[in-house]
Amino acid sequence: MSDPLSVGIVGIVALLVMVLIGVRVVYAAAAVGMVGLVSLIGWEAGAGIAGTIPHSKSVTYPLSVLPLFILIGFLAFYAGLTQALFDAARKWIGWLPGGLAVATVFATAGFAAVSGASVATAAVFARIAIPDMLKARYDKALAAGVVAAGGTLASLIPPSAILVIYAIIVEESVGALLLAGFLPGLVSAMIYVALIVIMAKLRPEIGSPITGYTWSERWRSLPGTTPIVAVVAIIFSAIYFGWATPTEAGALGAFVVFVIALAKGMTRKALGGALVETAKMTVMIFSLIWGVLIFVRFMGFAGLPGAFAEWIASLDMPPVLIMIAILLGYAVLGMFMDAIGMLILTLPVVYPAVVALGYDPIWFGIIVVKMAEICLITPPIGLNCYVVHGVRPDIPLSAVFRGIAPFFIADVVTVGVLLAFPGIVTWLPRTMMGG
Amino acid sequence: MAADPQSRGERWLAYFDQRLGRVEYASALVSGVVIFLLMILGIVQGLGRKLFNAPIFGYIDIVELAMVVFALLPIAYCQQLGGHVRMEILVNRLAGRVKWGAELASTLIAFAVIAVLGWYAFQHGVRAFNNGDTTIDAEYITWPWKMLVPVAFAILLLRLTLQIAGFWRLVRNPAAAPIAVPLPASVEDLAEAAAREALVDKGA
Repeated sequence: MSDPLSVGIVGIVALLVMVLIGVRVVYAAAAVGMVGLVSLIGWEAGAGIAGTIPHSKSVTYPLSVLPLFILIGFLAFYAGLTQALFDAARKWIGWLPGGLAVATVFATAGFAAVSGASVATAAVFARIAIPDMLKARYDKALAAGVVAAGGTLASLIPPSAILVIYAIIVEESVGALLLAGFLPGLVSAMIYVALIVIMAKLRPEIGSPITGYTWSERWRSLPGTTPIVAVVAIIFSAIYFGWATPTEAGALGAFVVFVIALAKGMTRKALGGALVETAKMTVMIFSLIWGVLIFVRFMGFAGLPGAFAEWIASLDMPPVLIMIAILLGYAVLGMFMDAIGMLILTLPVVYPAVVALGYDPIWFGIIVVKMAEICLITPPIGLNCYVVHGVRPDIPLSAVFRGIAPFFIADVVTVGVLLAFPGIVTWLPRTMMGG
Repeated sequence: MAADPQSRGERWLAYFDQRLGRVEYASALVSGVVIFLLMILGIVQGLGRKLFNAPIFGYIDIVELAMVVFALLPIAYCQQLGGHVRMEILVNRLAGRVKWGAELASTLIAFAVIAVLGWYAFQHGVRAFNNGDTTIDAEYITWPWKMLVPVAFAILLLRLTLQIAGFWRLVRNPAAAPIAVPLPASVEDLAEAAAREALVDKGA
């Protein structure tokens, strides 16, 4: 038998080949992990360990928050939140240059946060916000771009399933990760807003301010948005002040959205549909987790993550350069792969290296999730752009991609800001720990 | 989905596909309901603990036992719909026999790994039964829950068997209408599906 490290490298290559030819990630990772374990420690021990992982790694309390966040997302579609959010945002901030586009940023950020569904958010607001913007003679590319970009704010602002997954894979605190996403999510949104305002100042014809709302109209627009505020506030405050576990907070958040969806006339059939969809997405995520954890166990026996981390740390290069190279790697990978799959697959090897470079684990989680979101708006796939075009076939795909370009630049700026000021990420979780 | 299956084998394939589909849907519905109950339980626990200083006895044990239902049971349902994550960029570029051959190969790999995992997951359950294994706090027995893993994998193996038959049929006759296989979705399809999903948002 050759040495464990070479077996590990063969394993990584085998996994890459299988994933490339279209084997579903759970089976590819489990297969390579199991074969690898068997080749390192023998059939009974290796397959025996692999056979316990689907159960033992799935049934841990911190993971129980996932289905609840997913449920919040599916119920949110029945709670009539989208139009209410857009109305309120328009009335309160429509007076800014490019006001409707700015309002769209806020509305999509709010809805994306609660639904946790970037792509679906883009689809919904393509139907709600684009018609209003076009009616107000906004530039088509801007209208499409802001809707496609706004959805990407889903993963940072709590509740965020992908941050929970990151926390579990790298064994960090779920609560700390959820808190850490909050400020970067706001910063992202603010940079979008600044971008729109500047563009509309320079070229007023792309989006005029919307004025003429009275204060009483403004105040009356607020109650419709309370569910969103409630869900984010419940989850945020529960974790920050520690009055509930993320699972309990997720349960309460889901219940709030459930009650509102009922009040809005959600039928029993619709509830059943939402539950089945939640079950499907939940099992998909859990499958990824245990499948990859079998692979991770194999990697551990092979000693590969440690060796890779040592090698990275020994490179005679500034850590920032290595980090930028890693981020570029994610940008490329993200063009071809779903965000959750990409993270789960790469983190076991990449994460120890990042820590060895001296980067904060929580900070890296936020950065990497932001990278995954950027991939939703970059060609060649850029799923959000396709969605906007799918809902509004009258706006050509080329116009959507043209509209998204400034937001892509804004996202690169955001990543730069987070690189330069990591405190934006780490401050909130740190004050929680201290408090 | 299939247009008017001809041969007897094809009729059987479509029949089993439909029958198994019902079992799978039921498994998804059950886990959806368990998730709903998890929500209720979480609220009762949170409020009980906070307001009345009366947490549910063995709450974490109950949650961890029940998790196996939604973490694993509907795995075949997800497989039936082609919902498990994968990279489709290459498969989508293939056509005809090559494409169905690649799908057949991936499905065979899935079958092999789940068969072995399922057997050892079953052994895991048997050990829990023999040892009288219980949870830590409330000392609930664990083996019935652990046995749900081989059950979930058994349903998945049935599903994979149907898909292997379905892809094998397409390798032999690439022009036939697909039966009992998930069809690879292009980006455009996904976009359309998301757009359709968004239309449920009528309450707005």
